[in-house]
Amino acid sequence: MKKTAFLTGTILALCLTTGVFASDRTDINIAIDSDIESLHPSDWNTTNEKNIGDQIYDTLMYVPMDGNMDKVEPRIASGYTQSEDGLVYTFTIRSDVTFHDGTPLTAEDCAFSVQLYIDSEYQGTSADVGSVEAPDASTLVVTLNAPFAPFLSDICAMHIGSKAYHDAASEEDFMTKPIGSGPYKFVSHAIDTNVILEAYDGYYRGEPAIKNVNYYVIKTTAPQALMSNQVDFAEIDASALPMLQAMPDIVVSPVPTSGYSHLVMNLEKAPFDDVRVRQAINYAINRENIVNVIYEGEAEVNSNICAKTRYGYSDDQLQYTYDPDKARELLAEAGVEEGTDLGSILCAEKYSNLATVLQADLAAVGLNAQIDVKEFNAFIGQLTSGDFSLCALEMTLEGDTQMLEYALTTPFIGMANNARYSDETMDRLFEEARVEPDNEKRLALFDEILNKAQNEAVYAVICNPQILYAYHKDLTVTDFVLEGNYYLFDYAWN
Amino acid sequence: MIPVLLGVSFLVFTILSLTPGDPGSIILGITAKPEDIARLNAEFGYDRPFFVRFFTYIGNIVFHLDLGTSYATRQPVINSIMARFPNTLLLAAMAMAVECLLGVSMGIISAVRQYSVLDRVMVVVALVFASIPGFWLGLMLITVFSIRLKLLPVFGADTLRHFILPTLTVSLTSAAGLLRLTRASMLETVRQEYIRTAQAKGAGERVVIWKHALRNALIPVITSMGTGFGASLGGAIIAETVFSMPGMGTLMTNAIRQKDVPTVMGATLFLAVMFSVVVLIVDILYAFIDPRIKAKYRNEGRGRG
Repeated sequence: MKKTAFLTGTILALCLTTGVFASDRTDINIAIDSDIESLHPSDWNTTNEKNIGDQIYDTLMYVPMDGNMDKVEPRIASGYTQSEDGLVYTFTIRSDVTFHDGTPLTAEDCAFSVQLYIDSEYQGTSADVGSVEAPDASTLVVTLNAPFAPFLSDICAMHIGSKAYHDAASEEDFMTKPIGSGPYKFVSHAIDTNVILEAYDGYYRGEPAIKNVNYYVIKTTAPQALMSNQVDFAEIDASALPMLQAMPDIVVSPVPTSGYSHLVMNLEKAPFDDVRVRQAINYAINRENIVNVIYEGEAEVNSNICAKTRYGYSDDQLQYTYDPDKARELLAEAGVEEGTDLGSILCAEKYSNLATVLQADLAAVGLNAQIDVKEFNAFIGQLTSGDFSLCALEMTLEGDTQMLEYALTTPFIGMANNARYSDETMDRLFEEARVEPDNEKRLALFDEILNKAQNEAVYAVICNPQILYAYHKDLTVTDFVLEGNYYLFDYAWN
Repeated sequence: MIPVLLGVSFLVFTILSLTPGDPGSIILGITAKPEDIARLNAEFGYDRPFFVRFFTYIGNIVFHLDLGTSYATRQPVINSIMARFPNTLLLAAMAMAVECLLGVSMGIISAVRQYSVLDRVMVVVALVFASIPGFWLGLMLITVFSIRLKLLPVFGADTLRHFILPTLTVSLTSAAGLLRLTRASMLETVRQEYIRTAQAKGAGERVVIWKHALRNALIPVITSMGTGFGASLGGAIIAETVFSMPGMGTLMTNAIRQKDVPTVMGATLFLAVMFSVVVLIVDILYAFIDPRIKAKYRNEGRGRG
């Protein structure tokens, strides 16, 4: 009994101290929704693994995910030059960077890490890399066999690990006890429980304001943990929004993502081979309604496969709006009769609500569809093999806008080109964008690509769901750019 | 036990092989290159035929006591299990203790005072708790004890305090069932002839209830508790999810979703062993509770000898 009283007292005292001396805090508690399995520089797989890796490892340079080249900052590399033909990238590596074990970081470590990415099954680059060399300790030279315009953002997303540590440690240690050169060093990981990091005092950009970082694995109750002050920062579901908005000391920031929710039409099957039918379906969808009903308002209406803050997007590209009359007109023109059966909308359990609303929208213009809910792996199997008519899902093709070739070009049919769209002009445009070094010309190419995709209604894109970050109001955070990557180095308590 | 384990492993292995998807494409996702997927599957040995994989797996267990390496974490499966099983065991034990304390005692009182106000109240309360969904009860407990009162943590499994809310979530709903079972069993027993005989010979109410009725009424209750405990070693998926507790339930569900065959197999076999042990203990307990059962075994032994 006495012990309980003591414990309660301590807890109350702790609550009080955190309330009163919030400004003295140098720790941060962050909720993650699933455990991590790997903190390997290149062999990671989930957003949580990437986010934690971003604190432990540094990169050659910082390139924001929205491709805004004005905001590129030097990191391990103080700068770079590119040869005339766009094939040779030469990075100058700083000499004052050290790994968490105290050893200096050299160009050799950078070359090793880039090679890790190229060889990795998990991550990589679409560039055709010829050689990665470190002629001396402060120079990294990467030579491509063919120009690849987004290569800088690709290479600058790579986490730089230690070659010496890789050679000395077991494969398992290298993956689970990472040594990086970033602002935070790895302390411990308890399976399904937490990951603990602490500030690295030898970090070349200075020590961060937040010294101790605790990531807690919280599967479903992150909002509750925020409300009881057990965590300070968490990604939350839109459904928790009303509950958290009622809390005066919690701020919620919506973050745009390039992920898109959409209806796939199998172009290999009639009537979806008729562009008018695809346009009609695009006009038949009430996107505002879907955003309100399915995403609780936390998504940006957008019929374009390219997110609005992403490189290459323009408001001049065609936007499909809700216009059922126009849809009926187009269907009549295409000779599709009232009450035509389109087959089923394939979906996984998590997309079944989306499919239901889409089914109702199609019914409103006289198109019938059934819903076919499959277990996730079966769903993916059926989707990639083209064994479906319609399919409702969310996709993410992160990185440079060049990534959209996965959804729109012939070589990716059977992978992520779910519409099975094959068009010579489109394939050629992506090939040109891939090698175009000039920014203006490249933007023009993407404009052509996206106009073409929109006019031909290759997909029926609905919206870009947003990530919601909720955090304590006393925590100073930096603006979240596309995809919501964050660097705790820039955070502080006021 | 060994045929049981072999049967269990063959069954689970077959079912897993029949489900769609392969670990390579599940881990790497839809944008992965086919050659990368094939390379990863080959690394896991997943490209080999079913029987080769099955017998290699069994061989490793029998000859090397090796449960294999997880596809997802690339670490020994036994580590994943041992990181979680203590939590599951503690939660199961605490839940059973509370369940037993509440369910059995209230069941007895309810039966002894049949049709009293207390009995009716308890039966109604039991019905309410038996009908409450576990995840909702968990969230309500969090709202009251963590958010409003700030007394107990929302997540984790570091100290005993972290186990209080999960224990309540698991035990309150199952205690209700136990109460109803104990009550029914007691009511049936007190109508037996030997109870009337005991009362007729002048034994006090206490003695009749504790010595004569309860012992006999407890047999079905213990059976139910034993199998219940055995099953709860498989993890309380709902409580583990709501309270973010590393446990066997979420380990299994995640592994199945990721098609992490070695983890699913290892956890299943581990639980099969645990379950067999619990059933054995329950059988031994019977003998202590009911001397007739002990006597039966003894006679059989004598008969054979």
